[in-house]
Amino acid sequence: MIPIRIVNRKRAWAAVTRRFLTSHAAQNPLSPPPAAVFTGHHGIPFLSHLPSRLARPSHAAAGFASSEGVSIGNFELILIVVLCWRWKRRCFSGIAAAGLPEDGTVDVPLAQTGEGIAECELLQWFVKEGDEVDEFQPLCEVQSDKATIEITSRYKGRVSRMLYVPGDIVKVGETLLKMVVDESQVPAQSLDSQVPIQVSGNLDSELSSGADLNTTGGGGVLCTPAVRHLAKQYGISLSGIQGSGKSGRVLKEDILKFAAQKGIIESSGIPLGDQLQDELGSVQVIENPSDKKVTLRGFQRAMVKTMSMAAKVPHFYFVEDIKCDALVELKASFQKQTTDPGVKHTFLPLLIKALSSALSLYPLVNSSFNEDAMEVVLKGSHNIGIAMATPSGLVVPNIKNVQSLSILEITMELARLQQLALANKLSPEDVTGGTVTLSNIGAIGGKFGSPLLNLPEVAIIAMGRIQKVPHFDEKGNVYPASIMTVNIGADHRVLDGATVARFCSEWKRLIEKPELFILQLR
Amino acid sequence: MGLLRQSEKLGLPLMNLVRFKGMPILDQLNLEEKLLRTTSDNWCIVNDGANAPTVVMGVSGKPAELLELESVIGDNVPVIKRFTGGGTVIVDEGTIFVTLICNKDAVPKVQPYPRSIMSWSGKLYDEVFQGIGDFQLRENDYVFGNRKFGGNAQSITKDRWIHHTSFLWDYEDRNMTYLKLPSRAPEYRSARDHTEFVCRMREYLQRSAFIDKTIKALDNYFMVQPATPADVNSCQVAKFAHSTRLLSKQELEDACSSTKPGTIAQSASI
Repeated sequence: MIPIRIVNRKRAWAAVTRRFLTSHAAQNPLSPPPAAVFTGHHGIPFLSHLPSRLARPSHAAAGFASSEGVSIGNFELILIVVLCWRWKRRCFSGIAAAGLPEDGTVDVPLAQTGEGIAECELLQWFVKEGDEVDEFQPLCEVQSDKATIEITSRYKGRVSRMLYVPGDIVKVGETLLKMVVDESQVPAQSLDSQVPIQVSGNLDSELSSGADLNTTGGGGVLCTPAVRHLAKQYGISLSGIQGSGKSGRVLKEDILKFAAQKGIIESSGIPLGDQLQDELGSVQVIENPSDKKVTLRGFQRAMVKTMSMAAKVPHFYFVEDIKCDALVELKASFQKQTTDPGVKHTFLPLLIKALSSALSLYPLVNSSFNEDAMEVVLKGSHNIGIAMATPSGLVVPNIKNVQSLSILEITMELARLQQLALANKLSPEDVTGGTVTLSNIGAIGGKFGSPLLNLPEVAIIAMGRIQKVPHFDEKGNVYPASIMTVNIGADHRVLDGATVARFCSEWKRLIEKPELFILQLR
Repeated sequence: MGLLRQSEKLGLPLMNLVRFKGMPILDQLNLEEKLLRTTSDNWCIVNDGANAPTVVMGVSGKPAELLELESVIGDNVPVIKRFTGGGTVIVDEGTIFVTLICNKDAVPKVQPYPRSIMSWSGKLYDEVFQGIGDFQLRENDYVFGNRKFGGNAQSITKDRWIHHTSFLWDYEDRNMTYLKLPSRAPEYRSARDHTEFVCRMREYLQRSAFIDKTIKALDNYFMVQPATPADVNSCQVAKFAHSTRLLSKQELEDACSSTKPGTIAQSASI
């Protein structure tokens, strides 16, 4: 409903404007309209001019077809908008400001700093929150590849919120900071869609009231389209509301307060179905909980990319239960016998070492696939990645060359990586070069998961929590067994079920009978 | 004054040429930053060789990731963090530095963006190395074939930019061992180590020939006017806070120890 109305109004406005332009053009086609036209006394001179034109509709001068105003096309409309924008930005103060969010805050993005540069590191801020800045004043310095670049401000205003700190990586297009700008400044992009609609909105009230736009009078009221829409939803006439914003602007809070006072019982205004009216009849207006936008950064952002790529790979899953009684006993023994109080023994190092042994027998599981070359690279080192949940998100550092490390060395290295991960201080070397990944989701809970591959690896193992479940022995007696369910996700382009099943059996064998490690001691 | 009129007639902006030989790189970088930030002239600085082997990292370089810290500390190699972005180099008497500091409108069609500046400087050096080796600008480096001999860095401010290059006219293999293989490297490097990746300009032309050809190439874009050190000094403001700094031994040692396995912490892996 509303869009159609706007289109009509847009054309009506455009027609009026066209008539204005035409009449002016007849005098002097090349120069902009005389300044006198733009000196309305309440900041919206252009609009103030229109009603008087409407009052004396003149059939357009030669050269333009006069009609009900529906023949003006998109090009003319854009031209009008561009011309108005260029002549005097200030003449749109009322309109433009109405196009901004109520509090005049704009998002300042990291603009494109050069072809192909997708992200920059923020090096330093030159301003702080609360500072007044001028147009073209340097705001911050960023680094992209080889260059450090000063980013200057497009607007004159006040820094309200800085969204990054030095050291952060910012993608081109992301908001660097928020600024409160003066009403007279309009981000260019808001004009295209906002102005015609907003003007038409004002024109609506203009036409109905027939009076000049006046903040104090009963005529048109200053407010944003969103607020106008809200008022319409509640069936509230804006003219009856005292605006508490700048220059008497009606704000959202004013609408809500007014609606709360009056209740939302007025049947004409409620956008809800009739049957709901009774139920809501006596309900106070409560503000809807607002959505919160969270821009993904850092690890979360990387996760979007990596998981999207992983999803393209044909996965298959092999699930197995592993008896961990011996493992539990062994870990307890390590913990009891340990001479170093700083070392904390867990299951993971044992599982990691057993995994490495199994990989030695099934090197295809420790490989990477190059689809373009149709070749599989059997990796020499067992760089086993351990998925970690950090406050910053999912990260997978890997322990290098597990085949050459003792279980104690694995324990130490694991602890080092965990410490760095929690502090968000992992180096690029720590997180690259992995050949297979372990995900110990069981540490948090759950039976098992269906993990996605950590490309370009071909296998990932998710381990569930070790749970005590009843088992039957050979004699049919029930005994408690510690069982861990594992789910091996594998790239079906490289691995088949049989290989993974055999690999898993080997790994399971070592975990269930850890004394077999001794056979491998050198 | 006469020179000014001449340049205006030609329509080319003036560029002050400053030449040094064996100037310490820290002093050179400080001078460059001062000229960039506190003057509004165009400058070309040529330093024919630094005075001692020095590691120079980009503004956000992390010593632990980029350097073999134990040998750097052990051999007392100075490490500098410069005010421009980019990678890490080790400079010495065999390195020739060419720095261009320009107003953003100085060169027609060159926008104050990294790519635009690099593209223009690539053309400039095309003229210098015409017919010599297989010179090209490759990603952000100057190469002969696929071997790098010149690395670049820039800093772009509101109205000006600086583009400086360190050319490996010659280098010691041993010095390259202070640098790690960087995790961020141009694609064409293809994980080659330093000795396979870089080459020496001396195999292609003489030192003085290179400098002369460079100044001659600049003549096509600017009215190049030699400036004396006195000219340089008179342009600078009295107090200026440099961003380029020498890293202290303590900082290097701290960085070195942070790479070693730390104490055991609570297990929190998933």
